[in-house]
Amino acid sequence: MKLLFDRVDEPGLNTIDVYRARGGYEPLRRALAMRPDEVVAQIDASGLRGRGGAGFQMGKKAAFIPKGDMDKFLVCNADESEPGTFKDRELMQKNPHQLIEGIAIAAHATGCNRAFIYIRGEYDYVADILDGSVAEARAAGLLNHVDLVVHRGAGAYICGEETALLDSLEGKRGNPRLKPPFPANQGLYQGPTLINNVETLSTVPHVIRMGGAEYAKLGTETSTGTKIVSVSGHVRRPGNYEIELGIPSREIVYGLAGGPAEGRRVKLWFPGGSSAPVLTEEHLDLPYDFDSMAKAGSMLGSGSIIVIDDTVPVIDVAKWVAKFYTHESCGKCTPCREGTRWTLAMVERMDRGEATPMDIEIMAGVQDQIIGHCLCVLGDSMAMPIASLVKHFREEIEAHIEAARARREGIVSPDSPREQPTEATV
Amino acid sequence: MPRPEVRMVTLTIDGREVEAPENSMLVDGAKHGDVEIPVFCYEPKLGPPVGACRMCLVEVEGIPKLQTACSTPVKDGMVVHTQTERVRKAQEAVVEFLLINHPLDCPVCDKGGECPLQDISYGWGGGTSRFIEPKRHFRKPLALSPLVAIDRERCILCYRCVRYSQEIAEDYQLVLLERGAHSYVGTFDSTPYVAPFAGNIIELCPVGALTSRAYRFRARPWDIEAAGSICTLCPAQCNISFTVRDDRVLRVMARDNPDVDDGWLCDKGRFAYQAVHADERVVEPMVREGGTLRPVSWERALDEAAAALSRARGRVGALAGDGATNEEGYLLGRLLREALDCNDLDSRVARGPSRETARALSAPALGATVPDVEFAHAVLVLDCEPMDDMPILDLRIRKGVRRHGMRLVVATSRPSSLDPNAAVSVRFAPGAGEAFLAALDAALAGGDVDSAAGAAGADPAAVRELARLLREAGDDVVVVWGERLTGGPRGEQAARALLNVCARLNLRRDGAGLLEIPSSANGRGLREAGVLPGAGPGWSEAADGRDAAGIARALAGGELGALYLLRTDPVRTHPDRTVWSAALARANAVIAHASVLTEGLLEHATVVFPAESYAEKEGTVTHPDGRVQRLRPAIGRPGGVRAEWQVLADVARRAGLEIALPTGAAATKLLFEAVPFYAGLSLVDLAADGVRWPERDAASALDAPAWEPVELERPPAAPSPNGALRLGTFRPIWAAPEVEVSPALRFLSARARVELSPGDARRLGLASGARVHVSHDGTGVAAEVVVRSDVPAGSAFLHEAQGANALSSGEPRLVEVRPA
Repeated sequence: MKLLFDRVDEPGLNTIDVYRARGGYEPLRRALAMRPDEVVAQIDASGLRGRGGAGFQMGKKAAFIPKGDMDKFLVCNADESEPGTFKDRELMQKNPHQLIEGIAIAAHATGCNRAFIYIRGEYDYVADILDGSVAEARAAGLLNHVDLVVHRGAGAYICGEETALLDSLEGKRGNPRLKPPFPANQGLYQGPTLINNVETLSTVPHVIRMGGAEYAKLGTETSTGTKIVSVSGHVRRPGNYEIELGIPSREIVYGLAGGPAEGRRVKLWFPGGSSAPVLTEEHLDLPYDFDSMAKAGSMLGSGSIIVIDDTVPVIDVAKWVAKFYTHESCGKCTPCREGTRWTLAMVERMDRGEATPMDIEIMAGVQDQIIGHCLCVLGDSMAMPIASLVKHFREEIEAHIEAARARREGIVSPDSPREQPTEATV
Repeated sequence: MPRPEVRMVTLTIDGREVEAPENSMLVDGAKHGDVEIPVFCYEPKLGPPVGACRMCLVEVEGIPKLQTACSTPVKDGMVVHTQTERVRKAQEAVVEFLLINHPLDCPVCDKGGECPLQDISYGWGGGTSRFIEPKRHFRKPLALSPLVAIDRERCILCYRCVRYSQEIAEDYQLVLLERGAHSYVGTFDSTPYVAPFAGNIIELCPVGALTSRAYRFRARPWDIEAAGSICTLCPAQCNISFTVRDDRVLRVMARDNPDVDDGWLCDKGRFAYQAVHADERVVEPMVREGGTLRPVSWERALDEAAAALSRARGRVGALAGDGATNEEGYLLGRLLREALDCNDLDSRVARGPSRETARALSAPALGATVPDVEFAHAVLVLDCEPMDDMPILDLRIRKGVRRHGMRLVVATSRPSSLDPNAAVSVRFAPGAGEAFLAALDAALAGGDVDSAAGAAGADPAAVRELARLLREAGDDVVVVWGERLTGGPRGEQAARALLNVCARLNLRRDGAGLLEIPSSANGRGLREAGVLPGAGPGWSEAADGRDAAGIARALAGGELGALYLLRTDPVRTHPDRTVWSAALARANAVIAHASVLTEGLLEHATVVFPAESYAEKEGTVTHPDGRVQRLRPAIGRPGGVRAEWQVLADVARRAGLEIALPTGAAATKLLFEAVPFYAGLSLVDLAADGVRWPERDAASALDAPAWEPVELERPPAAPSPNGALRLGTFRPIWAAPEVEVSPALRFLSARARVELSPGDARRLGLASGARVHVSHDGTGVAAEVVVRSDVPAGSAFLHEAQGANALSSGEPRLVEVRPA
């Protein structure tokens, strides 16, 4: 079942003529003929959950936007920065009008008169495509009810966090804000703001076309519809696949993406981008949907599967995760700023052979001190996968530490006196 | 904006029922139940919480995650736990995180002993660290400015200083640079953070990252004592606390009084305490002998002063200014009027309105308070620059605009630093305040705006817009105006126009009214104590006499023989410097109370009594909004300095008037008895926050009848530039002797500068930095050009420093500006 990726490689799909020729902008016409609350009702009935990571129901979010005659904003979060996630790029690059139509419908539904696509600066060529498509849609009179602007970010992971994105969009340093107030009440320029991910908004035209109830029949009861899954890592056919939510994970990793190379096995996998706690091979038979992943102790997140096979030491995975989040921590709140840096230092020390298995305890403890204590979820995004690595692979990490230590101590010349701990150094 | 009503809600904290104001944050609400929740980044004075440090995590029943108590408003029936194992561990974790990169150099840190990070680490930390990695390093210490040192290793990145710069002072200089663990506080391009209110970040910093360069390594908290008093360096009269070690003032800190200063200080107030111990300070009595001032005994100085005054009996003038207290003003009045039969005394720099009009302006019903400025619907800043004239009021105005949606309108000659915050700014020609008010009065009454606006050199449409805004913003309108508006020969007419405007806007109501910024620190108090020609204590009737300008002319003309200067040097501070120089030169005797020998005294004083510094003084002063505040001595008087009330009484006794004053408090008692609307005040009542007399029953002793709008005289038109420039003068915040003698502040000393519009500068072939000669009628001063894009064409604004008051006269005049 393909909706978002339906004939996605059709030549010229990024032009308005081709998009229209296959029925594009018809849902918008229908939506504009409906009352806004009727459109919201359709979205609500579809059960569509946010595809950016949090999985919050879009219909509920749209209903939070206050009614009334004021400036209201719709922001499309196209700051796709989560390692392993590259679905929005393909959606925008190949079918930009699908997104624009989704924005136009959502703007009508919530009464937003100004809309922004906040796209990460690295996607410059995609932003160029969007600029062209927005101009086409505007010229075709499809954006009369909303003023849509494509805004390029400057390249910071944190700006994908919705409130940091808003600060950045306002021209400030991109730091997360305290919530509440939530963006629906006080978002961009203190006005009511609906923020949704590219994929979520791209799904909206299909919801209107099919009808909310019909869309809800796809997928599982609580994870309706289809989802683009970015599969990367040790698989033979990495890429974006549109699946119906709820199919076995193994079917994605092995069936669609081809699984690891001959003779290797899946050691661990991130089911929802690098910020999701890792799962192991035994979890591959779980259905791939929001609730099953949560029940297994992880999350579906942005729907990005990163597969790691048995050639990779777990400590390398931990180091890579810690390094990324240490680099991207904005520094505003204490546990994230200090905790990520500390974790990275510990992991590197373990790898250098300057640690003992006792350090695993400390590292796990530090993750506990981060989780749930930060201003936004960036801190958790490192702490949860690191904690899950310790949980699933403690023995391997212990062995790694011991081996690294032995290696390191072997380097020391037998002639040099061994340093003995004395009272002064203890 | 009406102040929000406070409703109380009941919640449970750690099993205790606590009543707390609705919508207060849990951190504050918990205090009502004697529960302390630790915080670093939370500081309500800085605006809404940011929740950055995560120190205040607590458990709220019904919410799965721990919540930051700084950002969670209290609710009825809320159940909060601050002592559970979960909360304890979370708070321990934050302390551990904060300390991993902190150098723990408490033994050499100025903050040690008064450091929130120390206190919270002891109170809520785990006591140990598991961190063995290398710490983050920065170069240190660095000068963030000549006044503030920054140690980035100690910084815990709580954002307080950055928020202060961005949202309170609005100087937008401090920012957070870099990201994550590399973040650090700094300015763009490392330019020094120099701004009038920059020093407040020292007090805001919860660790030793921002320290005062003047205080660094001077004392530890266990060496020092704190002594509360009032800063009398400007009319803002901020409440301060002196840090004293071994009878020396080492530091000044804010003593938060929301009715006065909101807990902020300007850098002059924070650092000019150094003048107390400056080498330049006069600490012994001096008498002029053979052309130079020489130290003498008190007996001799008092005898000579009394003899000179007695010789000139009936021909003595007196001026009082700056930090003179109400008691000293009162005693000066008695010395002049009762002992010397003179009525020529003034505490203003130029003639003001008549006694009746001045009483109407001071009517308690028409007085606005400092908090009124914040909560008003609209504030009109009229012919003054709060940043220079009463600095801390500038922050209060910004706060009103930012937090309470107050509508600000500015009507000045010189571009105001508040223009960017104003809904409307109107410019009028220097000295044309009266004409502007006549135009505003006409706009409010529906009369002919154009002719008066034309006389003021103001845009009639802008005046109408300003009037509309004042009418429509809401009922509570506060007018903040400067003494210069009603100074000079047309002061009476300007005051009448102002009263008309007040009547039309119906400002005799709570939350609205007038707030005058006097030109000297205790200007209001000295007037109320009777240091005015024709008005005795409490605006009582008195025999008429000469005003300051009249005294100058009479001295120069030989009609007056002696001059008594209580903490003022007219050559330096009064308009018409040349006339004053001549007046002092001609006087037979000039008796002065001074702490620094400024130019007029150095050349002309015959007897100098060493004046007390504000750290040594006792007595009372009166804030521009009528708050009587108490000064308390923080240190002993150095050298031979004596209490000035005592010196005045001693001079009076020698001149034949016995005033029984066993103590300073006795002088206060006499003052409170003499001023009807101070009746019943006592020093004990004033002890902490002072008392605003217009709010007391005794205020009825002054109650002036409501002003009925009067027909205004046709205001004179501002002179037309015709190639010359209209001269406006103003006193910058840094133009004070205390700044010049304080080593830390000296780099900020005001210089004679003249501000020109880009067009005029181009026409004259001048650029910023050019040395010029500014002259009028043969009198000239040297100055440095500053080209400002917002200066209106045809005007030049001269900073009153380095003798630039030679050109000001209190009357509008034109000047020539030529390259020097």
